[in-house]
Amino acid sequence: MTGRLLDGALLPPALVLLAVAVGAELAKAAGLLPVTVPAPSQVLAILPDALDDLLHHAGRTVRSAVTGYAIAAGLALVMAAVALALRMLERPIVSLAVLVDCIPLIAIAPIFVIFIGQGPRLHVTVAAISAFFPLLIGCVQGFRSTDRNMDELFHVIAASRWQRLCKLALPSALPYLFAALKIAAPLALLGTLIAEWMGTDRGLGAMIVYALFSFNVPLAWLAIVTVCALSALAYGLIALAEQRVVGWSRPPDTLAGGR
Amino acid sequence: MTEIVLSDVSKRFRLPDREVTALDGITETFRSGSFTALIGPSGCGKSTLLRLIADVLPPSTGEIRIGNHDPAIARRSHEIGFVFQDASLLPWRTVLDNVSLPIEVAGKAPARDPRALITMVGLAGFEQARPSQLSGGMQQRVAIARALALEPKVLLMDEPFGALDEITRQRMNLELLDIWKASGTTAVLVTHSISEAVFMADTVLVLSANPGRIAHRIHIDLPRPRRLEMMRLPAFNAVENDVRAALFDDGTRVPA
Ligand SMILES: Nc1ncnc2c1ncn2[C@@H]1O[C@H](COP(=O)(O)OP(=O)(O)O)[C@@H](O)[C@H]1O
Ligand SMILES: [Mg+2]
Repeated sequence: MTGRLLDGALLPPALVLLAVAVGAELAKAAGLLPVTVPAPSQVLAILPDALDDLLHHAGRTVRSAVTGYAIAAGLALVMAAVALALRMLERPIVSLAVLVDCIPLIAIAPIFVIFIGQGPRLHVTVAAISAFFPLLIGCVQGFRSTDRNMDELFHVIAASRWQRLCKLALPSALPYLFAALKIAAPLALLGTLIAEWMGTDRGLGAMIVYALFSFNVPLAWLAIVTVCALSALAYGLIALAEQRVVGWSRPPDTLAGGR
Repeated sequence: MTEIVLSDVSKRFRLPDREVTALDGITETFRSGSFTALIGPSGCGKSTLLRLIADVLPPSTGEIRIGNHDPAIARRSHEIGFVFQDASLLPWRTVLDNVSLPIEVAGKAPARDPRALITMVGLAGFEQARPSQLSGGMQQRVAIARALALEPKVLLMDEPFGALDEITRQRMNLELLDIWKASGTTAVLVTHSISEAVFMADTVLVLSANPGRIAHRIHIDLPRPRRLEMMRLPAFNAVENDVRAALFDDGTRVPA
């Protein structure tokens, strides 16, 4: 059954990808693409030689992105729980998140370098900031989505605050949380990439930078395609988890558009 | 002994532009182990009355006692079972886990085996089903089983069978009477069906609206256990007619 599920989820995007690749290949052959865009076959051709290098860099990027993502998710969950417990703090918390989201990361990352340096801690921080906003909004919205009757039920059965959070608010919020998790995953990856551009010796961001400086266009594109694939993979894995965990729910229509 | 006593209870809601008196001057004693039906036009405060008894809302004036305690104490000691108008089941929990919820929350050994409760409401075999896989009537039965999980001394039901077809409703009525008799709980049932009120209750309270008041108190002297055949007896129809008259009455004539 999972096999068919995978087919259903993976086949359409795979076909689209194939069509784009064939289109690009033909366009390159017809001389329609600039020198900075290689043919897909050129990118594929360097893969065997570049694979070790690619994995070396991708591993670091994934680690930074996942760490930042997890920190952002944990922080968002805690802050949303605080907003749930103390309703008067909800607006300030959301406002703070909006403020954080308004920070132009490209501009501020160099400033972070001064405080945190250029190491993985910078990458993790920027990844977390990138992913934070949709996660927080998802958590706040999710916690707010509990049914009023359910609230009364938990009151009548004399549930504690903690029991309400664990047995009512969290499960009610799950569909919203998953929607937010799906949107935030590619953002965490993008944030990591931005931070890596600020200078590092290891990471897909670094790989793109040095490939461009050495005019190795196919290598740069290999890194770019890898980032896309990682984003899609993260999204897909979360969607799969979502189907498993919240099969009882239809996904909420809010947040669906993302950004 | 779990008597519910309301003394001169009123409830006002403050809206942005005005104040609504949902209930006014409610003085009533629900005898221990009795079955009372509340009937009245919509908006007359039936749900509000149940919420006051269940300590979901505080009364604006007056006093409520449950077995000589404050409703808050009764609630915290898990003495109140509440069945909501819509079943209000947790969609992510199975039937069994929904019924077990109050036991889990109370953290004490189950007063009644949840599986036995599920069997009692006729849902044996559906323990692992999700609410979305059940019909409305089945969901409502799960809600009743859940309300009974801690053997509440007071069972409050807000139009629990409102959404059911006539046949299912009558079956549920009979089952509920058995459950009530066996448990000795003090039951209060809100309904908009006259025949359901008469069939189930010892006393039917007819409420009038604006403000919500007890307009009539009708005692049902039909023998127990009640049987569906009784609904065809002239005596049953006569009481039904009394309730109907009270419901559509302007509130000046109190039937015997
Ligand atoms: N939480 C509330 N806030 C404001 N008004 C309310 C609230 N709950 C009930 N009311 C008002 O109180 C009156 C009685 O409501 P309710 O008890 O639900 O009536 P019933 O259950 O008999 O239909 C209605 O006029 C309703 O609008
Ligand atoms: Mg009502």
